[in-house]
Amino acid sequence: MNREQVLKVAMYAAVEAGNLLLEHSNDFLKASPKESLRDIVTEVDKCAEEKIIEILKDYNPYSTILTEESGTISGKNEKNHWIIDALDGTVNYVNHIPFYAVSIAFIEDNSPVVGVVYNPMSSDLYYGAEGIGIYKNHTKIKSKDRIAEECLFAVAFSGKKYEPATRSEEFLMFEKVNDSTRGCLRTGSAAMNLSYLAEGRFGGCWGKANKIWDVAAGILLAKLSGATVEYRYVSKEKNLVSCIATVPSAWNFIKEKIKLW
Amino acid sequence: MTKTLLIYGAGAIGRGYLPWVFSPVEYDYYYVETNDNLRNLLNKNKKFTTFKVINQEYKDMEVPVKYCYHLNEEKKKISEAEAIITAVGPRNILSITENLKNITTPVICCENDSSIPELMISITNNPNVVFAIPDVITSNIAPPELRGRDPLSIVTEEGICYIDHKVARLGGNCVYVHKDELKKQWLAKLYLHNTPHCIAAYLGSILFVTYLHESMQNKRAEKIVTGAMHEMEGVLLKKFHLENDFVEWYANKELQRFRNTLLYDPINRVAREPFRKLAPNERLIGAAQLCISCGIIPENIMLGITAAFCYDNLNDPDANIKYLIESLKPHDFLKIAMQLHPGEALYELLLDRWDSNLNELRGLKE
Repeated sequence: MNREQVLKVAMYAAVEAGNLLLEHSNDFLKASPKESLRDIVTEVDKCAEEKIIEILKDYNPYSTILTEESGTISGKNEKNHWIIDALDGTVNYVNHIPFYAVSIAFIEDNSPVVGVVYNPMSSDLYYGAEGIGIYKNHTKIKSKDRIAEECLFAVAFSGKKYEPATRSEEFLMFEKVNDSTRGCLRTGSAAMNLSYLAEGRFGGCWGKANKIWDVAAGILLAKLSGATVEYRYVSKEKNLVSCIATVPSAWNFIKEKIKLW
Repeated sequence: MTKTLLIYGAGAIGRGYLPWVFSPVEYDYYYVETNDNLRNLLNKNKKFTTFKVINQEYKDMEVPVKYCYHLNEEKKKISEAEAIITAVGPRNILSITENLKNITTPVICCENDSSIPELMISITNNPNVVFAIPDVITSNIAPPELRGRDPLSIVTEEGICYIDHKVARLGGNCVYVHKDELKKQWLAKLYLHNTPHCIAAYLGSILFVTYLHESMQNKRAEKIVTGAMHEMEGVLLKKFHLENDFVEWYANKELQRFRNTLLYDPINRVAREPFRKLAPNERLIGAAQLCISCGIIPENIMLGITAAFCYDNLNDPDANIKYLIESLKPHDFLKIAMQLHPGEALYELLLDRWDSNLNELRGLKE
């Protein structure tokens, strides 16, 4: 597929879904828990996801799409496919905290090559593609390299049910980084964490056993912005990925403190 | 004994216009230029030719070049310079400020942004940074017959350079003026030159022509540019209370310039960085907002704005405008790319005329 076209379709779909989220942000939303109290879904999540699927299928009816709510929608080409999350940060959304996003990635040969993250509350559209560059709204962006001590970091914890025995280690890692840098936030949106890194706001972020749809677009954006990124599937079957991304000068510092695999 | 002039930027103004202001007989010309090809050619040829258009004829001047440095190679030369001039473009100014810290040498900013000198003073601690307005159109490329004579040929028109009187001791073929006159000249340049000039370029881009005068040869495009000029004349009279005669004279002078067939002002130079020109206080959106605040509906400027939205040049730093305009619905584009919001007059006007303006622009070629 033409990468420029793919990027434009992803941008359109992300903004359309974002508009839908915004339109319903003041509705009374019934949140249904999934794997934990923090992992919830609303009717709006599903509507926004349907909207994205409709746009992507309209562009290419044979697309394969990996989604958060509907699973995998098989198409002709499994190798090159979309990964979408209509609402990353549902807990923030239902609590009217303006830090959530639509996340859309296009994957070629197992790597994201197009990524779009849209926060409809702030109208911040992050978009980028291999060979094209990375932007926020009208501006070209890049991460801001500095030493770890001068950076603010962000974390996305694993789900409560993921390896409960080692869960306390995640809090220890959080503590180590939080106390030796400008601090560490648990924001509730991994997609936005990576986008903020790409823009130069955060110096880095990490997530243990995050869902691939939360981070696929953000991983590309962080990479394109000049950040150092490492990610691995911890369970391909469950679509779980662990990921560390920081500005280059903070990389060694963070790698020493954060052990995800 | 000649004095040293260090010029950042060997482009249109730096190479084409400044030698007519500060004579190479009096000054040794040193440049700082990041374009490798241009720098190498200047150092190889050790000279270039600048052509000035006077009464529809070219007058030429051969300018000896002592040396053209890459950025950061020039540091030792800074202390020897009688004056430093910047003509690098507002977006590049921060890349040179580091080298100009803590000096007292006069620095003349020939940048198309009046806020640059203050910014530079605060960053460099040099109180002798001043603003200058080269009131000319200078092309960064000459027509083929002139390039045949000298590959580094460049063409400028005749025009006055207004410089802050604080550095009047430097002399030269220019007019040193006090703050009020500089402000008046800047307002005229900003709105009677910059606004219609870039609109002519964006219309030219839609017409797929190469030079600005070719855009003005299209009757419909010329009508839009002239209309935009009249809208801005209204602003200068109503909002800034400039004298009617001055405004009228300036506007006519500019329209003549845009039509000048000897200038070869490239569309892609004038139209470059559309997002910078579409910034809230800049020559397109800012100009339209000023019109609205004076009770003028900026129909022609809005056509220019829409033409800028459609600017399609993948080599431009703002090439992403194409992705935004082609992927988003108009109201989303205005919100996300332009930071305009529902309820704002300009947002509503642009949205209301979206289809008709696009149709009018598409019809330019008919």
